Amino acid sequence: MEEKRGCRYEFSKGLVKENPLLVLMVGLCSALAVSTKLENCIFMGLAVIFVLVCSNVIISIIRGFIPYRIRIPIFIVVIASFVTIVDLFLKAYFQPIYERLGVWIPLIVVNCIILARAEGYASDHPVRDSAFDGLGIGLGYTLVILIMAFFRELLGTGHIVLFDHTIISLGTDKMPIIFIMFPGAFITFALMVAALKWYQERRKPKEGGESR
Amino acid sequence: MLRNIVNLTLPLVVICIIAAIGLGLTYARVEDRIAEMEQHQREEAGAAVLAPLKAHPLEDLQLLESLQGEFPGLIGVFKGLDGNGHLVGYAFVVETKGYNRLTTAVGVDTECMVTGIEMVINEETPGIGGAAIDNDEFMGQFAEAGPEGVHMGVDIDAYSGATLTSSGITDAVNMALDMCRYIKESQGR
Repeated sequence: MEEKRGCRYEFSKGLVKENPLLVLMVGLCSALAVSTKLENCIFMGLAVIFVLVCSNVIISIIRGFIPYRIRIPIFIVVIASFVTIVDLFLKAYFQPIYERLGVWIPLIVVNCIILARAEGYASDHPVRDSAFDGLGIGLGYTLVILIMAFFRELLGTGHIVLFDHTIISLGTDKMPIIFIMFPGAFITFALMVAALKWYQERRKPKEGGESR
Repeated sequence: MLRNIVNLTLPLVVICIIAAIGLGLTYARVEDRIAEMEQHQREEAGAAVLAPLKAHPLEDLQLLESLQGEFPGLIGVFKGLDGNGHLVGYAFVVETKGYNRLTTAVGVDTECMVTGIEMVINEETPGIGGAAIDNDEFMGQFAEAGPEGVHMGVDIDAYSGATLTSSGITDAVNMALDMCRYIKESQGR
């Protein structure tokens, strides 16, 4: 019973309470860069979830055999292998997406979310918990970049195009292009962090009102 | 000491070997598919700029060599032949610098007028440089560029936010036009 509740907690904490982007603020680089287009984020999110779950599981399995002093190189080898698998797979089967995501797929290797979960979680937790942790954190990342991309693409270009279908259109091309450029990424991200903080503060007005 | 070294390196070596085997197997699975996709892309770009003609590699090796010497960004040249085998134009695949690396296929007719432009490898930032390339209005500006070449700010309006990409594509078109003139001059001689 407790085990089950444990898994659920490991999974759900990544979505809001320990959201990698909005709360832990790791892995921002790729999130700010790819969130220009909703479609890209779907694939980027799936790639990150895959790498995160697989590397967490493998590292959790081998955690007993890894000498402490060389743990980081071993984590990197494991992570890089899965990233390369994703990279090759996308290149072979999703050529247009692969071209658009470009360098960000190989750069998942150095995405600090993944190394942070390997070092901070999977290296001293059982396999099942690590898998759920990876899934939760990965989904948390994906959720945030999807929301960011939704607003950036809509406000920056005036429409949202998904797999060659225009889903939403504001009917004009005269939109503030800043939203799909780098300043727009920071503005959107900051507003999202502020919104989450506001929501959390409002939910528990009694305890710790002055602590921050 | 020695034991310590072995203790540290052995696990790392074992894990690297396992990773290498895993990657090797993955690569073996997708290798053909990737090669096929790349070949397909190249042919498509060459064919697209010369459509509806057939693209043939340039067989005059001496000319190809001197072109490559003169234009370091040149990757490949195709001749466009019509149904009767008459030369109607060339397709040049060239590499220029945008924000990142740009590989562009530019088609020209025998009068050195641009007939089409197709991106072969596009590493520009999605939504910024990439938006310029996806924008038909911007790319359309090159459609009727003539032998005298094109200049940003004069014939070409740079795509806002993507000045480097715009100049990279302009460079590619100019390089193709220069090469076309070079071929014509060397044949005229």
